[in-house]
Amino acid sequence: MSIVIIGAGHAGLTLAREIRVNCKATPITIISRDAIRGYYKPNLSKALSMEKTPDQLVMKSAETIAQDLDVKLLSHVTVIDIDAEHKELRGLFNNTEESSVMTISYHSLVLATGASPIRIPIERDATTELLSINNLEDYEVFRERIQQKKKILIIGAGFVGCELASDLASNGYDVDIVDLCEWPLQRAMPEVMGTEIKKAMAEQGVTWHLGKSLTSVKTDQESGKTAYLSDGTSIHTDAIVSAVGLVPNTRLASNAGVRVQRGIEVDALSQTSQTDVYALGDCVEYKGVTLPFIMPATHAAKALAKTLTGTDTELTLPALPVAVKISACPTVVCPPLNKKGIWQVQGAGMNLEAHFINEEGVMSGFSLTGQCITKKNQLAAECLPALPAGISEIIVHNCTKRAG
Amino acid sequence: MAQYECPDCGYVYDEKTGCEREGYPAGTTWEQIPEEFPCPDCFVREKPDFESLGEIKEVGE
Repeated sequence: MSIVIIGAGHAGLTLAREIRVNCKATPITIISRDAIRGYYKPNLSKALSMEKTPDQLVMKSAETIAQDLDVKLLSHVTVIDIDAEHKELRGLFNNTEESSVMTISYHSLVLATGASPIRIPIERDATTELLSINNLEDYEVFRERIQQKKKILIIGAGFVGCELASDLASNGYDVDIVDLCEWPLQRAMPEVMGTEIKKAMAEQGVTWHLGKSLTSVKTDQESGKTAYLSDGTSIHTDAIVSAVGLVPNTRLASNAGVRVQRGIEVDALSQTSQTDVYALGDCVEYKGVTLPFIMPATHAAKALAKTLTGTDTELTLPALPVAVKISACPTVVCPPLNKKGIWQVQGAGMNLEAHFINEEGVMSGFSLTGQCITKKNQLAAECLPALPAGISEIIVHNCTKRAG
Repeated sequence: MAQYECPDCGYVYDEKTGCEREGYPAGTTWEQIPEEFPCPDCFVREKPDFESLGEIKEVGE
């Protein structure tokens, strides 16, 4: 039986590696519309501090991946459509010299198509770029654009926005951050904690524009770019990066008749509403929630690898703490998935520990700053799991047989 | 002293420096690190997944 994986990001490559742990023989094909390179995505927002160029972030080349994992890699192939009934798909190979259409059949298909940056409409002329960083190609463009530049404007004070701002500020850039929220990482921590992060990063040279939005950008040949905020403030800037969140890539799935809400719907075995079509990573939703982080994708890859190699394994997710790389204030967050509840905070100054207590009186999330981050393992063990065992719904399939 | 690298994020555990914030002082050998040790940077991979970078000689290559 052959397995075809669409997408060569963290989810797709980790799945291939985990399948090989369980089975050496199953033929695996990985399809990517881009070049295939093994890198760790969270490093994109800390590469300046790591003193690494985009090239140096690549940990494994396509050749190494193909050889180590004994997989067939199809780079620069865009999947056009999937015929779930006949278990085959069509891909368009496209590089600068040629293009051709190929048909690939599979026994099991895995969608690891990832997510794309959300783009908010901002009035600007056609030549004014709004950068976003969601993969290594984006990051190469970003590094090119900030060369010899000084002032960077970031839209979004979430994980990526804060990490990027920290990386830039600690490497000599003047950073402005705009967000409608009242404090950074608002969805993952209480105000008192966000205020500490805000203060620490401000001392590093980050200028906050919170409770505001970016409305337009004017580019002038002589004075460069000027960004205008909703309250009338104007900011001179050299480059603008948008980091306002991700939306799952679901078009291929929905065209193939796979049930999609915000993300691709999967059951406890990571199977979609189509038999033998599975999904994992940033393109998926679990009980209505997308979890675009490394850890859930890794857990899902491990469980799915077992399922695909003959041992049905339900996905369970423990509490999922994430380190936010803010050099001025070490931070770990484990955001509650259900927003009903209250924050309880203890500690002083930058060293804070916040528990999110849900309506049942149980800790369902937490966040830690400063020296308190050492408590992350202990709190993760006490915290409500993100996806507990046995309660996720199994999607009823037209056909109950699963390739094993 | 040897070094071990997380295959996902590239974090390197160096026996020489240890990992103070996780409670492993300088000089803690890889053997003394528990099997369930999660990578302190990405929290994802555990000790058995780490790849050996081999013995590191004193100062320089």
